[in-house]
Amino acid sequence: MTTLAEALSQPFFQKAFLAGSIVAVVCGVVGCLVVVRRMAFLGDALSHAMVAGVGGGYLVMKLVFGLEAHAPGMILGALFSAVITVAMISFVSRVSRLKEDTVIGIIYCGVFAAGIVLVSVFRNHIHIDLIHFIMGDVLGVTDADLWISAVVAAAVLSVIALFFRSFQVAAFDPVLAAAVGIPVVVVDYALTLCVSLVVVSAVSMVGVVLVVGLLITPAATAYLLSDRLDRMMLLAALFGVTSVAGGLWLALRLDSAGGGAILLFATAQFLAVLVAAPRHGLLAGWRRRRRLVPQQVVEDVLGSILRAGGRPIALGAIAPHVHADRSRLVHALRNLTADGFLEGGAAGWTLTEEGTRQARRIQRAHRLWETYLARAGVPESELHRRAHTLEHVHDEDAVDYIDDLLGHPETDPHGAQIPEDFVHLEGSASVPVSVLRTGWRAEVVSVGDAARSLGFGAGELLTVLPRRDAGATWVVGRADGTEVPLTHAAADAVMVRVLATGSRPPAPFPPQVG
Amino acid sequence: MATDPAPVPAIDIQHLTVSYGPRPALLDVTLSVEPGRLVGIIGPNGSGKSTLIKAILGFVPRDFGTVRVFGQPVEEARGRIAYVPQRGSVDWDFPVTVGEVAMMGRYGRIPFWRNPAEEDHRAVAEALELVKMSDFRKRQIGQLSGGQQQRVFMARALAQGADILLLDEPFAGVDAATERSLLEVLGRAREAGRTLLVVHHDLATAARHFERLILLNQRLYAYGPPAAVLSDDLLEEVYEGRLQSLGPRRAPGGGA
Ligand SMILES: Nc1ncnc2c1ncn2[C@@H]1O[C@H](COP(=O)(O)OP(=O)(O)OP(=O)(O)O)[C@@H](O)[C@H]1O
Ligand SMILES: [Mg+2]
Repeated sequence: MTTLAEALSQPFFQKAFLAGSIVAVVCGVVGCLVVVRRMAFLGDALSHAMVAGVGGGYLVMKLVFGLEAHAPGMILGALFSAVITVAMISFVSRVSRLKEDTVIGIIYCGVFAAGIVLVSVFRNHIHIDLIHFIMGDVLGVTDADLWISAVVAAAVLSVIALFFRSFQVAAFDPVLAAAVGIPVVVVDYALTLCVSLVVVSAVSMVGVVLVVGLLITPAATAYLLSDRLDRMMLLAALFGVTSVAGGLWLALRLDSAGGGAILLFATAQFLAVLVAAPRHGLLAGWRRRRRLVPQQVVEDVLGSILRAGGRPIALGAIAPHVHADRSRLVHALRNLTADGFLEGGAAGWTLTEEGTRQARRIQRAHRLWETYLARAGVPESELHRRAHTLEHVHDEDAVDYIDDLLGHPETDPHGAQIPEDFVHLEGSASVPVSVLRTGWRAEVVSVGDAARSLGFGAGELLTVLPRRDAGATWVVGRADGTEVPLTHAAADAVMVRVLATGSRPPAPFPPQVG
Repeated sequence: MATDPAPVPAIDIQHLTVSYGPRPALLDVTLSVEPGRLVGIIGPNGSGKSTLIKAILGFVPRDFGTVRVFGQPVEEARGRIAYVPQRGSVDWDFPVTVGEVAMMGRYGRIPFWRNPAEEDHRAVAEALELVKMSDFRKRQIGQLSGGQQQRVFMARALAQGADILLLDEPFAGVDAATERSLLEVLGRAREAGRTLLVVHHDLATAARHFERLILLNQRLYAYGPPAAVLSDDLLEEVYEGRLQSLGPRRAPGGGA
């Protein structure tokens, strides 16, 4: 059995590897444009149509000039048939109302059929091994093949490098391309010509049937790994070369047809990347999903630590409150720590300041939704479950609206305290009295219509006293000791600035059973 | 809540909340539309108009709340609702004529083993006549102007014979004269006892065309006669994009 190193020392193998690599590089680069333009089917069509051109070129050179198997003649014939095919496709698409893919199918099969008939009718004159042509023979590459592919590669790569931006914009947004003065039709024809040239030079290596694979598989593999066309082209060229190297090695090991082995390797490479690609791959997606701790778990963890009231809490004490297996819980704790919500110590976990805020926000949303649901007539036994599905709606405005709608309740239907509206207490210069809980001292900033008659003046100091009438009436104490009852509307209308020091109500979140 | 003896509402929405993320698209919407009304839905872009229509159709999952159509859950009443989407996402080159498109509205009623009956043909003809597209019935659907295509889809909804028609911006890209004639069509459908909900963008014409307006921006701001809904205060509040859930709270702070 030959090793790769041994094989590489053989001239025929070196030639095959060199020619294959040249073809694969240019196929990969052009293939990127084919992939982003969704022209794969056209590539397939061109390679098949070429049979007629090669047969025709052979025949003309032989009958007219007496040259047997004249390579340039066959190549010109191949290009000619490719151009004819493309021209017919665009003509039929224009004059009929058929969709382009159907037209491509019709025309290329017609031209391919003509080629097969031609080659078989003139089988006494044309010494083309049709099977060879269809299957390709990378290990039997001649010097002429090598030269042709080198020239084609140089030409095509220069065109693409020179006009890269035109190709890019014409592929992405033809309307814009036309608007900025790029001749889209010319660019399209240039691309088709490039594809034809590349296909012609690749057919002798991998054959008519597989050439489209060499065109698109490395390009598609690169597509999975990059978000930019130029990088995609570089990668595609690289994957083309690795396909050829791996395929040739495979062909030697298994003693199989070279073209088949190359494409088999390319496909395996594609599948491997599909699974393992760092961002667009299946594995990455799966890992992401696994690592993605459900919001529910995050919220349960934050809630259970919040309820510990500031004491460190051990993993074992969190677990019963969270619907998740242990590994996921550990994962959630690690993520929350990384996000700066938690701190782990010897005694257990505590919330950071940011974690406390977040936990209180969620708790406020949950308890307000529970109150809302209870008012909407949802039976007690379902409250918690329903509120759980709604608590992800914790957008500040939505929660505030619900809070206002419910009359700023202080406790939820289970009697647990609803966290006060701390976001606005911290963030705003002024808040309405209605959101303040018992114990706050505040300075009046402005008074709206609904509270005008109460006679508060700007700068006056007020103390918030316990509400009456099951929370429906607010009460504030004035500096002279009088108590003023306020309706909801009036409490909304009195805007105050809370006094920072010594006025915070006692322990807003005592440990509670939730 | 006791059931009142008044006729069953065509559409009855209670405490509807729909969200695609933390910010709800619809929040606590409660609304009940009597049968036989021509109702316009207004509100800025992204205010949940399309979502409301999709929720009535049962196309989007509800976080909370109920939608009842003639007293039944939507799932059971779907056959009574016809829908014209905001932008038809059909293949305009598809080999199908105007007449056939309108006939598709009847497909729900025609058993698979039967051809369209006399009655179906009549319904289609009437619908096309109503939208003034009879002359085009043999035309392929792509060979029409945008406004004409819109009319065909309206004809399809009419041919469906549904009791409720939900139309999402049927007048987008339609000239003023066509809009007027289409509104006439809707008016006639209403006279025939149908209930219509139409998403409409033109506040200037809304008052003229609809007997009731729904003013929406995530929450239901108003539902009632145009004169009441189109008050400057309400419109400013909704269209200025300020969510004033807590009234003066969002006012520029520190007036003192
Ligand atoms: N599929 C979706 N996924 C996520 N968010 C969505 C989706 N559909 C709508 N939204 C969001 O929901 C809100 C309401 O959207 P909706 O389509 O109901 O608005 P609209 O009132 O019909 O707007 P327009 O006047 O632009 O048609 C918007 O903020 C929108 O961004
Ligand atoms: Mg919409």
